[in-house]
Amino acid sequence: MDKEKLKERVKEVVASVLKIDKSEIFDEANFIFDLGADSVQSIQLVAAFEEEFDIEMDEDKAVGVQTISGAVDFISGYL
Amino acid sequence: MNNRSLIHKKNLHLLFYPESVAIVGTNKVKGTVPGDIFTNIVGAEINAATYPVSPREKYISGVKAYKYVIDIPDPVDLAVIVFPNTVCHMALEQCGQKGIKSVIIISAGFRETGEKGLQKEQQLIAIAEKYGMSFIGPNCLGIINTDPIIRLNASFARKFPATGNIAFLSQSGALCTAVLDYAQAKNIGFSKFVSFGNKADISEIDLLYYLMDDEKTKVILLYLEEISDGPGLIKAAREVMSKSRKPVLILKSGRTAAGASAAASHTGSLAGSDEICDVAFRQAGIIRCDNIEEMFNIAIAFAYQPIPATNRVAIITNAGGPGVLTTDAAIKAGLQLAMFNDETTKTLKKSLPAAANIKNPVDVIGDARADRYNAAISAALEDEGVDAVFVILTPQSMTDIELIAEEVVKVSRQYNKPVYTSFMGEADVAPGIRILQSHHIPHYILPESMCKSFKAVFEFEQLSLKNEGGETKVYNVKREIVRNLFEEAKQTNKKYIPEYLAVRAVEAYGMPVYPHGLAKTQEEAVALAGEIGFPVVMKVMSEDIIHKFDVGGVITNITSKQEAANAFLKIMKNTTSKQPEAKIDGIFVTKQIEKGTEVILGLKKDPSFGPVIMFGLGGIFVEVFKDVSFRLAPLNKKTALEMIEETNASKLLTGIRGMPRMAIGSIADAIVRLSQLATDFPEITELDINPLIVLEEGKGCYVADTKIIIQ
Repeated sequence: MDKEKLKERVKEVVASVLKIDKSEIFDEANFIFDLGADSVQSIQLVAAFEEEFDIEMDEDKAVGVQTISGAVDFISGYL
Repeated sequence: MNNRSLIHKKNLHLLFYPESVAIVGTNKVKGTVPGDIFTNIVGAEINAATYPVSPREKYISGVKAYKYVIDIPDPVDLAVIVFPNTVCHMALEQCGQKGIKSVIIISAGFRETGEKGLQKEQQLIAIAEKYGMSFIGPNCLGIINTDPIIRLNASFARKFPATGNIAFLSQSGALCTAVLDYAQAKNIGFSKFVSFGNKADISEIDLLYYLMDDEKTKVILLYLEEISDGPGLIKAAREVMSKSRKPVLILKSGRTAAGASAAASHTGSLAGSDEICDVAFRQAGIIRCDNIEEMFNIAIAFAYQPIPATNRVAIITNAGGPGVLTTDAAIKAGLQLAMFNDETTKTLKKSLPAAANIKNPVDVIGDARADRYNAAISAALEDEGVDAVFVILTPQSMTDIELIAEEVVKVSRQYNKPVYTSFMGEADVAPGIRILQSHHIPHYILPESMCKSFKAVFEFEQLSLKNEGGETKVYNVKREIVRNLFEEAKQTNKKYIPEYLAVRAVEAYGMPVYPHGLAKTQEEAVALAGEIGFPVVMKVMSEDIIHKFDVGGVITNITSKQEAANAFLKIMKNTTSKQPEAKIDGIFVTKQIEKGTEVILGLKKDPSFGPVIMFGLGGIFVEVFKDVSFRLAPLNKKTALEMIEETNASKLLTGIRGMPRMAIGSIADAIVRLSQLATDFPEITELDINPLIVLEEGKGCYVADTKIIIQ
């Protein structure tokens, strides 16, 4: 999948889980520091990514991903 | 004081007295640390501007929130970071960019979790250094300043304590909440309350220096789990005592003997880490407490009452038994029972019933009411021979407990002498105790605790008045000899310096030794013995043999060349049969020392406090009798003499039952020289001089055996 397209879909998932406007999400945004995700939402994000992209991620490594661009790189490894 | 400490000194005021506070990473969720911190800050009615910083929220509790700390339009003095550990560095970086100088990092998950956490913590330190910031934590509860001009509760403690003059500093956050609860029940207030967690940046030492000058603080309490800079702590505590006369009470956990068992010398095995901690604290005037209760028992005595001039106490009781118990406890604590003057005796006789005991301890009798207590306490406090009054009460059917408590409060305010109380019991006396506590009259459940607390106050006062007693003398020594010996050992990767070399080190530092030499062969031994002059002693020299006597490696009183030849062979045979794997350097031959009293001098390098000097009764039973005293190096002759006096061995040295007085001055001289050796060569981890043979006064003392272990 094209990386730009993947990034847009990642942002859509994040906006939906964190209930924020997609326009607020920038490429290097940190889920916690910039977007205000708490620990529960971090886990919800992993689950939402798996559902969106129909993949099964290594959960320990997945929760260590902290930014949008990091998530894009991480997910692309499963596609 | 290093650079960081100077920066902390500048920044610490903003930590306790900020004009504006940003709570970075907060949210609206009650019952979570990020949520409760903001609630607590606002709930305490802080006299400062507050700025919630939250990536998602626009307002928190009606206060405008900012996405980033750098978005706050006004200057910020203090930031409280409550973000998860993964992004604390980002928050701290922005605090630095914003020009914030004081920070509290509440978040956990750093050094306490292992190597990865330690790296995160080091990242925080690097950021703080880059921006000249100071931070408390991480992994802490936060801080509280009860001063009404600020009312800062930057913590997730449930309670905002009463204002008081006790500062409490703790490495454990959980203990803080328990202490707050305990103190509230006893109406104990605080000036500052600090949980400093991992002390990655601001340490207890920085806080001690700050509190030394804090006008709101009279007593400093410190709970420690680890001492990371022993000398720094000792220096700070000494300065606090000498400059501000504020007592420092420390509860240090981990009173275990771990480490002592692995020691290779007598000193090493006798100087356990906890014993050294005790010694270091005592030398610095720190009052070491065994538990929280004892700590607060002593703290309230310092905080609420005047300091007694001397230790003559009057006991006023309404029951004989508790009066005797209190008397026993007082005597055991080293206090004196005051002798009343004639006027006091006359007043007591007039005010009390005929059956009352008007001598100290004064028994006002079981049916005593408030008026009788008043008369007895007043009379005792009037007496110039009384320094303090202990009021004991047992609840009898006619005892008006609350009125008596009120009377104690009233009378104590009329005099500038300490009044301590023990209303014995629990349920019936509770209302009276509450009155005493609410008026800051120290109350103790047991008379023993009361006497122990008084003793601590009195001893602290005596210590703070005491003159240290002169400079530490620096002797002219041959440092090069020792340096070369150690360099040679290091080059061959040897830690153990055998006696024939160790003796040269102590000789270079002016400690008296007899003629000596090392023989590798039987012929050399015989020749050496002849040169030294008989009688001689021969000892096996081997890195692998620590206790030479145990393997038959020592023969004394060798009086001829033939005996010397035989002794050489016997020692070699003994040691090779008992410890065949031991590598033998040779046989050490030395002049047989004339008879004297055997003492031990020792040195051990403590990982927390540095070199510690030991003195005690010497010989092979030193570890059995444990008649030893310790001091941190460097020390002066006055301290060395105190060390000698502290032991039972001193009785043998001062001359008992017609025995002559021994050369105590020479021992003290040797102790100071050993202290100088310890200070000059921090690589020495253990050193034993055992025995040091002490002769009659005027004849000096001689090193009979010594061993050194270096790093």
